[in-house]
Amino acid sequence: MTARPVSIVMIEDDEGHARLIERNIRRAGVNNEITSFRNGTDGLNYLLGADGSGEESAQRSMLILLDLNLPDMTGVDILVKVKANQHTKRSPVIILTTTDDEREIKRCYDLGANVYITKPVNYESFANAIQQLGLFLSVMQVPVTD
Amino acid sequence: MPFFSSAFARRTVTLLFLGVLALLLIVVAAGWLTARTSAHTAEVIRERDVRMVAGTIQTALLDAETGQRGFLITAENRYLEPYANALPAVREGLATLRGLYAQHDRGDERLDQLKTAVEQKLSELAETVDLAKTGRRDEALAVVKSDRGKAAMDRIRATLGGLISEAEDRVTERLADLNRASNLLLWVAGLGALLIVVFAAGAAWVVIQYTAELVAAQHQLQVANASLEERVAERTTSLTRANDEIQRFAYIVSHDLRSPLVNIMGFTSELEVGAEALKRYIGGDEQQADKARVAALEDIPEAIRFIRASTERMDGLINAILKLSREGRRDLNPEPIDLVKLFAATAASVKHQLDEANATLTVPDRAPIIVSDRLALEQIVNNVVDNAVKYLARDRPGRITIGVTQSPGRIGIAISDNGRGIAEQDRERIFELFRRAGTQDRPGEGIGLAHVRALARRLGGDISVGSELGRGSTFRIDLPARLHAKDSRLHSEVTK
Repeated sequence: MTARPVSIVMIEDDEGHARLIERNIRRAGVNNEITSFRNGTDGLNYLLGADGSGEESAQRSMLILLDLNLPDMTGVDILVKVKANQHTKRSPVIILTTTDDEREIKRCYDLGANVYITKPVNYESFANAIQQLGLFLSVMQVPVTD
Repeated sequence: MPFFSSAFARRTVTLLFLGVLALLLIVVAAGWLTARTSAHTAEVIRERDVRMVAGTIQTALLDAETGQRGFLITAENRYLEPYANALPAVREGLATLRGLYAQHDRGDERLDQLKTAVEQKLSELAETVDLAKTGRRDEALAVVKSDRGKAAMDRIRATLGGLISEAEDRVTERLADLNRASNLLLWVAGLGALLIVVFAAGAAWVVIQYTAELVAAQHQLQVANASLEERVAERTTSLTRANDEIQRFAYIVSHDLRSPLVNIMGFTSELEVGAEALKRYIGGDEQQADKARVAALEDIPEAIRFIRASTERMDGLINAILKLSREGRRDLNPEPIDLVKLFAATAASVKHQLDEANATLTVPDRAPIIVSDRLALEQIVNNVVDNAVKYLARDRPGRITIGVTQSPGRIGIAISDNGRGIAEQDRERIFELFRRAGTQDRPGEGIGLAHVRALARRLGGDISVGSELGRGSTFRIDLPARLHAKDSRLHSEVTK
C-alpha cells in the first residue's frame, strides 16, 4: 500500500452488521482503519463535509462500503453525490446490501458503483463473502483523491 | 324483446291498419259511386231514347198525315208515298217505346192511351185513303172534317209531349244526380287521401320518434360503455396499486426481518468461536489464555448483546406487522363525525408536547359533518399531528394548522406545519413501512405514515404530502364525505 494508508468508510445502519463486517474483514488480514456511520446524513457529512463541497476528502485515500437501505435516505442518493463530486468521484464504492433486485443492481452500476455485493442471509455465506471481500481489498489499488 | 310486445310495433301496426282501412273505404265508396253513376248514365241514355222515339213517332204520324192530305187533294198516288213509308215507322216506334218502358212500371196507362189514339188516327187515315182510292173523295173529306183524326192527333201530341217533357225532367234530374255522385266521389277520395296522409305522417312520426329513441339509447349505451371502461381502468389502477403495495410490503418485510436474523446467526457463530477459545484454555492450553480472556471479557458479551438487541428488534418488527395486519382486517363502522370535536380531542392529546416545544395548534371552529370510521379517522389525524409536533424546526416557534375543504362528495383535511420539511426524494418513501426521512434524532420505527396511508385508502381516500425542505410540510388527507359500508368491505378485500 501507499504511504497514505487507505481508510475504509462504512455506511451501514445495522450496528450488528457493521460489527460482523469489520470482524470478517479483519480476519482476512486487512488492518486498515475502518470508519463506520449509522446513517446516511452522518456518512455524507464525513465524505463531503457539512457544506457538501467535498473539500475535506481532498488528498484522502478512501474506499466506501455502502448499504442501500438506510433509515434516512437510500444508499443510491449517497452514491450519486459521491460520484458527482470531483474530490470523491474516484474513490471506489462497494455496495454491500441485502437487495438483490436486478433493476437496483443495474442502476447502481449505471450510477458508477464499482462493485455490488449481495449480503447472503445465511451467516456462513455472509462471513465467507466478507472475508473474500477482505482478500480483494488487500490487493486492490485505491487512488488518492484530488 | 318480442317485436309485437313493443309499443313501437303496436303503434305502427295500428297506423298501418287504419291506413289500409281508409284505402278500403275509398275503394268501396268509389265502387258504389261508379255503380250509381253507370246506373244513372244508363237511365239518361234510355230517357234520351224515349225522347227520340217519341219524336220519331210524332214525325212519322205527321208524315202519314201529310201523305193523306196530299193524296186527298191531288188524288195522285205519288202523294201517298210518305203515308205508306210512315206506317211501319209508327208501329216500330210504338214497339220500341213499349220496350223502353217495359224496364219500369210507370207509363203503361199512357202508352195504352197513346196506342189507342195512334190506332184511331191510323184507322181514320186508312179510312179516308181507302175512300179516296175508291173515288169517294167527298166522303173522305167528310171524315176529315168530322175532326176525328184531329182529336186523335191532339191526344197523341199531348201524350208524346208529356212523355218527352217527363224524360227531359228525368235527364236533368239524373244529370244532377251524376254531378252529386262525382262530387261525393271527389270528397270521399279527398277525405281518404287526407286520412292516408295523416296515418302515413303518424307512422312516419312514430318511426322517427322510435329511431330517435334508438339513437338516444345507443348513445346512452356508448356512454355507459365508455364509463364502464373508465371504471374498469380505475379499478385496474387501484388493483395495480394494491398489488404494488403488497409486493413492496412483502419486500420490505422480508428485507427488514432478514437483517436481525443475519446478526443473530452471525453473533451465534462468534459465540461459538469465543466458546471454543475458552474451552481450549480451560482444557489446559495456556497459549489460549489471551484469546480466552478477550472472548470472555469482550467477544462473548458483545455477541450476547447483539443477539438480544436483534431478537428484540425482530420482535418489534413482527409486532408492528401484526398490528398493521389487524388494522387492515378490522370492520369499519361508518358514523357521522363532528370534525371540530375530533380536532379538539387531538389538540388535547398533544397539548403537553406542544407546550414543551413552545408550539401552537390551530384547529377550525367550523367543519362539515363527515360519515366515516371514527377510530380510523382519529388515528390518521393523531399520527399526522404527532409527526408535525415531533419534527418541528428547533430555531422557530412551531405553528401547526388544521384546515378543512369541501368539494362535492369529498372532504379534504390539510395539516400544515412550519417544521423541518421533507426532501423531494423522500416524499413517497416516508409512506413506506419502516422508512424514515431526515435527521434521525427522534425515536420511531417508521410505521406511523405507512399505517396512516393504509387507513386513508381503506376509508376510500388517500394521503399526500407537499413540502419545502426547511420550511414546513402540508399533509393532505382526501376522504369521501360519506363512507359506505360496502366500499370499505370491497377495499379491505383488495388490500388483504
